[in-house]
Amino acid sequence: MTARPFSLQAVKNQINMRRGIGVAVILALFCSAAFSQTRNVEGTVQDAADSTGLPGVNVVVQGTSRGTSTDLNGHYSLDLNEGDNTLVFTFIGYETQTVTVGNRTTINIALAQEVKALQEVVVVGYGEQKKSDITGSTANVDGKILAEQPVLTATQAMQGKLAGVQIISSGQPGSSPQVRIRGVSTALAGTSPLYVVDGVLTDDISNINTADIVDVNVLKDASASAIYGSRGANGVIIITTKKGKAGDMHISYNNSIGIQQATNLVKMANAAEYDNYVQAASGSPPPASDYNTDWYGVILRNAWQQNHNISLSGGTDKSTYLLNTSYLDDQGIVIDNDFKRWTIRLNTEYNIRKNLKFGVLSSFGNSINENGFNNLDIDAYGNIGSVYNDAYRASPIVPSIIDGKYGNTSAYQNVGNPLLDIKDNKIRVNDNRLQGSSYLKFEPVTWLSLKSSFGVDWDYSSNRGYYYKFLADDQTFLNAGGNQQRTRSNLAVSQTQWMHWVWDNTATITRQFGKNNLVFLVGTTAEKYTNQYLYGTRDDVPADPNLWYIGVGDANTSKNNGTGDAWARNSYLARLNYNFDEKYLLTANFRADGSSLLPSQNRWREYPSLGLAWILTNESFMQAQHLFDMLKLRASYGKVGNDKIPTGSYSQVVTLNQAYAFNGSSSAATNGAKIEQIVDPNITWETTVETDGAVEFGLLRNRLTGEVDYYNKKVQNALINVPIQRTVGDIDGLVLTNVASIQNRGLEANLNWRNTINDNWSYHVGANATLNKNKVVALNGGQAIYGGSIGAAQGFTTYTDNGLPVGSFYVLQVIGVFNSDEEVSDYKASDGTVIQPSAKPGDFKYQDTNGDGKIDDSDRIFAGSYQPKAYFGLNGGVNYKAWDLSLSLYGNEGNEVYNGKKAVRIDARDNVESDVVYNRWTSQNHTQTEPRANSGNLPASTYFVESGSFVRINNVTVGYTLPKDKLEKVGIQSLRIFATSQNLLTLKKFSGFTPELPGTPLDSGIELSAYPTTRTIAMGVNITL
Amino acid sequence: MKGVIRSAFTLIATATLLVMASCEKNFLDVPLQGGENTRADPALAQKLVTGVYNSLLQGDSWGNGDVHGFAFISVTNIMSDDADKGSTATDQAVPVGDLDDFTISPTNKFCETLWSGHYNSIGDANQALAQLADAAIDTTERTKLIAEVRFLRGYLYFNLVRMFGGVPLVLRVPVDATDANTDPAFFTRASVDEVYASIINDLQFAMDHLDLKSKSEVGHANKGAAESMLAKVYMYRENWQKVFDLTQDVINSGQYRLLDNYEDIWRQAYQNSDESIFEIETGTFNNGNLGVNNYTVCQGPRVGGKGGWDDLGWGFDDPTTTLVNAYEPGDKRKAATIIFIDNSGTHAGTTLWDGFRVPSADSVQNLRYNYKAYTSKTDEDFQDPSDKDRPKNIRILRYADVLLMNAEAGIHTGQGAPDAMVNMVRERAGLMDKTGVTINDVWQERHVELAMEHDRFWDIVRQGRAASVMHAAGKTNFVAGRNELLPIPESQILLSGGKLEQNPGY
Repeated sequence: MTARPFSLQAVKNQINMRRGIGVAVILALFCSAAFSQTRNVEGTVQDAADSTGLPGVNVVVQGTSRGTSTDLNGHYSLDLNEGDNTLVFTFIGYETQTVTVGNRTTINIALAQEVKALQEVVVVGYGEQKKSDITGSTANVDGKILAEQPVLTATQAMQGKLAGVQIISSGQPGSSPQVRIRGVSTALAGTSPLYVVDGVLTDDISNINTADIVDVNVLKDASASAIYGSRGANGVIIITTKKGKAGDMHISYNNSIGIQQATNLVKMANAAEYDNYVQAASGSPPPASDYNTDWYGVILRNAWQQNHNISLSGGTDKSTYLLNTSYLDDQGIVIDNDFKRWTIRLNTEYNIRKNLKFGVLSSFGNSINENGFNNLDIDAYGNIGSVYNDAYRASPIVPSIIDGKYGNTSAYQNVGNPLLDIKDNKIRVNDNRLQGSSYLKFEPVTWLSLKSSFGVDWDYSSNRGYYYKFLADDQTFLNAGGNQQRTRSNLAVSQTQWMHWVWDNTATITRQFGKNNLVFLVGTTAEKYTNQYLYGTRDDVPADPNLWYIGVGDANTSKNNGTGDAWARNSYLARLNYNFDEKYLLTANFRADGSSLLPSQNRWREYPSLGLAWILTNESFMQAQHLFDMLKLRASYGKVGNDKIPTGSYSQVVTLNQAYAFNGSSSAATNGAKIEQIVDPNITWETTVETDGAVEFGLLRNRLTGEVDYYNKKVQNALINVPIQRTVGDIDGLVLTNVASIQNRGLEANLNWRNTINDNWSYHVGANATLNKNKVVALNGGQAIYGGSIGAAQGFTTYTDNGLPVGSFYVLQVIGVFNSDEEVSDYKASDGTVIQPSAKPGDFKYQDTNGDGKIDDSDRIFAGSYQPKAYFGLNGGVNYKAWDLSLSLYGNEGNEVYNGKKAVRIDARDNVESDVVYNRWTSQNHTQTEPRANSGNLPASTYFVESGSFVRINNVTVGYTLPKDKLEKVGIQSLRIFATSQNLLTLKKFSGFTPELPGTPLDSGIELSAYPTTRTIAMGVNITL
Repeated sequence: MKGVIRSAFTLIATATLLVMASCEKNFLDVPLQGGENTRADPALAQKLVTGVYNSLLQGDSWGNGDVHGFAFISVTNIMSDDADKGSTATDQAVPVGDLDDFTISPTNKFCETLWSGHYNSIGDANQALAQLADAAIDTTERTKLIAEVRFLRGYLYFNLVRMFGGVPLVLRVPVDATDANTDPAFFTRASVDEVYASIINDLQFAMDHLDLKSKSEVGHANKGAAESMLAKVYMYRENWQKVFDLTQDVINSGQYRLLDNYEDIWRQAYQNSDESIFEIETGTFNNGNLGVNNYTVCQGPRVGGKGGWDDLGWGFDDPTTTLVNAYEPGDKRKAATIIFIDNSGTHAGTTLWDGFRVPSADSVQNLRYNYKAYTSKTDEDFQDPSDKDRPKNIRILRYADVLLMNAEAGIHTGQGAPDAMVNMVRERAGLMDKTGVTINDVWQERHVELAMEHDRFWDIVRQGRAASVMHAAGKTNFVAGRNELLPIPESQILLSGGKLEQNPGY
């Protein structure tokens, strides 16, 4: 934390000081002029809370620029001139004290910490602002709270902590959670928010060790995010990492070691239940078998997770440092998976001169994901299905493996053996990422700060997939047959490297004229990104891992590919913060973005915003009341963009490798090319316009604080495909263009109650909730989009059309089950046509929506959306003496999910859920919600749409801090031990694994190969030396 | 005052720093990486020509376009009296079953993909022609490439006009989407005569500027191909003198002869043989198979009944009894055209020319399959033999067709030697000579000689006897005046705001 050298008041008095021109002279700005010295005052500044010395506190003679700052022990000494009678003690994060000197020569001061919620300084993009001065909508979470949870990414730890921020996490090792800030605001462009890590712009923070983070601030509305212009539309998440503090060296060690398990598994039919159902479905019993395989039990396990973090920090008033290194090992609950990541961070800052500061903030991370669950779906040879679909379908009467030979599910029912699905390949993803920034900050005069910052983000990842050869014979299987086999082994390797640099230059002017306070920022940024990808594969590479190199394979089977990307960007930005007497606040932002990704004729885009606020409690008429300690009204308007459109989508690109074998099979083909797309040359970034109105308040001596926001966010030119006559020869008959419009409106509320009862007891409770309504306002001639294809008989399951939420489920309506042949023949259209003539008693009765006497895709109806009507979080904590307890809940309400895995059942021999066996329609049980025993292949219908509402205890942590006096004897400053549990309990209506189902805007909320929610129970220590 | 000056200097210094950070002039001119644009490659024009040939391989029948895939097979063979849909009763009942039964809806997916596939190819041809117009290449080379592309465009429109009648005549690249939505050429139908005039124009140019087969590269369009194609076009226009002159010229060119064995024509060893005039070429690219998507797999014998073998395909396009009965006794072509599945009860199965044994009927879905689409996993050469969809050259025009065209034109015009032409074809088939051949004799010979070769349906329409032939074959849904043509895709009519007109009866 940087102390401000001098107060604003001091600025005016410096004007007469004599200085030259140019940088060298400006450096001399603070050289003291000669004044007569009359007396000296000294003393110690302490923290009021713990009576420790505070280093770096500014001590200034009121009305002058003269002053000093405290040393490492909080001690200061200052010469006073005649007439100097008042000292001002300032330190960021503490309340400023003004003291009359009188005749004293020793003045000891205890500074109290500022009431945090109101005076906290937040990072707002290219600068910081006092929370109370902000006119846009932001949300903040302390890094300490994030680090407490045994989860893989900081993003996941933010879930439920921030109003307006929906985080959907699968929890699988190596995955990045999906973040939706204030709803889904695009159909075809990217949805990820912009992350800014110490000034470096990125789309992914899975490389960041959560324990490195000091603070996360989310810019939610367009007025706050407009400073990031074309990247602001999905929201901006600003991450600040820890820095060293002047003082003694601190060494701390934190760890947690725990075990994870899958929760809420779906209970599949056992062998007896399976026999019963198959007999009913197919008329004949399955072959006799002694086996009763629980396939989920075969492929899942309880897995270890451990996390270690060592931190070393300290510094002097000239330089500070922080070294953080971490190691994480998460095995994952699917067998053979192992995710390891280590990170190292070194953040150093140097005060070269009083007004010149230099800093380097850097991190390196390496992660290796072996056989990650994600990768199991990838099968170069199109082996049957994915492991999860297979585990759902595989019959319990087939054994998994006996004496090294697999049960042949494929021969029995054309489903891959799930265990072999995992064992028949070895996939490794190795990622290295270097991310960091350095800056130089110079203050030639107190009211001007110049900062130049250069950030770099570099990533190199190499992936290797090896696919074993095995045949459907009795060497591999207990019995030969079926088509789960790979006749040739295969090795595929790929390497991706990307580099992104950002150079920011800003000038910030901070001035005060009477009651007018003004901060003006101008700046430029330049960025460049390059990316290279290389891929190669060959067959017949031997199974020995030492031979897993492309050159070992059969050259006649080699295939390769390579791609690249590059873009540059240049931006100009400006921000004015103005307040009058801390009552009336105004923030105006402006950013102009120019990018090589847009065609030169419309390369530049401008993003303005304006925010206004009124702090009523600073008005004199509010001084008489004692209800509100703080009351603020704010309103804002802004325009931001979404630049996540496909690279080069406006430019006419040649489709390569369109070969023709002129000589037939006699020789290899001649390469060719095509121009087969009509493109819109004016395609551009999506533009979002957002208005926000809010009230912020503090009550009861700020024990209760809160804010309520209303927002209306509209994407004006969302990307959509417009159909074009096929005669023009466009390969897909569609032209991507910016014509659709999508809206999100909502209400956010955030309440916090914090109270210290006495020295022993304190507690806090925070609650937040968001209501959001999403709809496609108009496609404007764009083609409504089918999405959520899940194969089998189902086809697509979602539809994005005018007036409905993006990606709504679009399926047949089940209106019951036929109980008799009479009911089948009585179900007629108005013209007398029997609508489902081939139905049998026990089959679903579907609604003939269009009344044409038959059931087909044109009878589909909208059946809800994956987007929740509301989502909420509840976070609380209690401290009692040395004990601490914290609890956090998260949930959402009013959304639907699609039980896609149930729909992958396509054969009478496929297994079913145990509940289905018992609840199905029979001649005795005339249920209207579950059909008779069937062989799957059911069409997409409301049968598969279920409520996605859930509430979950995200985290419970109990900690105990050992008594300080005893520890100090052994040289330990503090020691805390804790036990924590992540995802302890989930209450949900959904019958599948998890209602948290990330995806693109068009196919979210579909459970197909979902990673089950995992529960983690862990213990750990926090030690500071 | 001094303070003001100082402030000014400071601001100037700041401004300088800010400008420096962004002053590099062409910083934002970063070319698109890895996406070749039309300016980047001097050899682009040649590559685009190859791309037009490549577009003939389109077989995305349920998706973006079909030229010679399953949809093409459906509207040429399956729709005719040569073949039935095949496979299981329900498999592809909607697009293919409807075509076979003439219960075709204007939303039929295969009709739509044939439309889009042909226009994709025509678009590729127009793009290639546009690039060739100002490509920096040798004039002779340029003319030859233009001629090849115009041959292909003519052929594509010839298929379109035979499928749909008069269609939008698109002979240029639209500037942008607005242009495509404004110029009526893109969404109104030209007359059949206008389309044929354009086809003749393209093929005549190709014929005038291409070399004979012996002087041309294998697989490329050549003079003989253009001349034969043009003859066929004139045959559909009933300009018999032109047909006769052009075919006679092809015959006199000495470039072609009938192969000795009829069955050899469809062996890989005889691709681009002396009999071949124009073929869709398939082979190997990027260490993988390169062919028409699904062409062979959709026609391969399909497992059924008791199963127990790894089958060859999906079992569509099954020769009918009508076709079986069309052959005279002793005609070698029957066994070369049809794979007969053993239904004798002896379980001997059917042994194909390479020794592969197809099991008997109780393990196979259908009783007959198209032998002309068979590929041998063992005796022919493929990059990826285990792929059931092994590439196979499609024989589009071959010498026998030219001989029979010459005979038909000769009868009409009283020229040449029709008997000799027909008998050359018959002798190879192991049949006795005929004398005094009639038009009907030529038609019969065309039927059996070119069976399952995507000619039959259009041929009987041309002959003006489609309804009677169809009704005789039991396809009683065929309505004269409607089913000679396919419906224009409904989606395209809607998109044109009704300006694109539907064919009668749909």
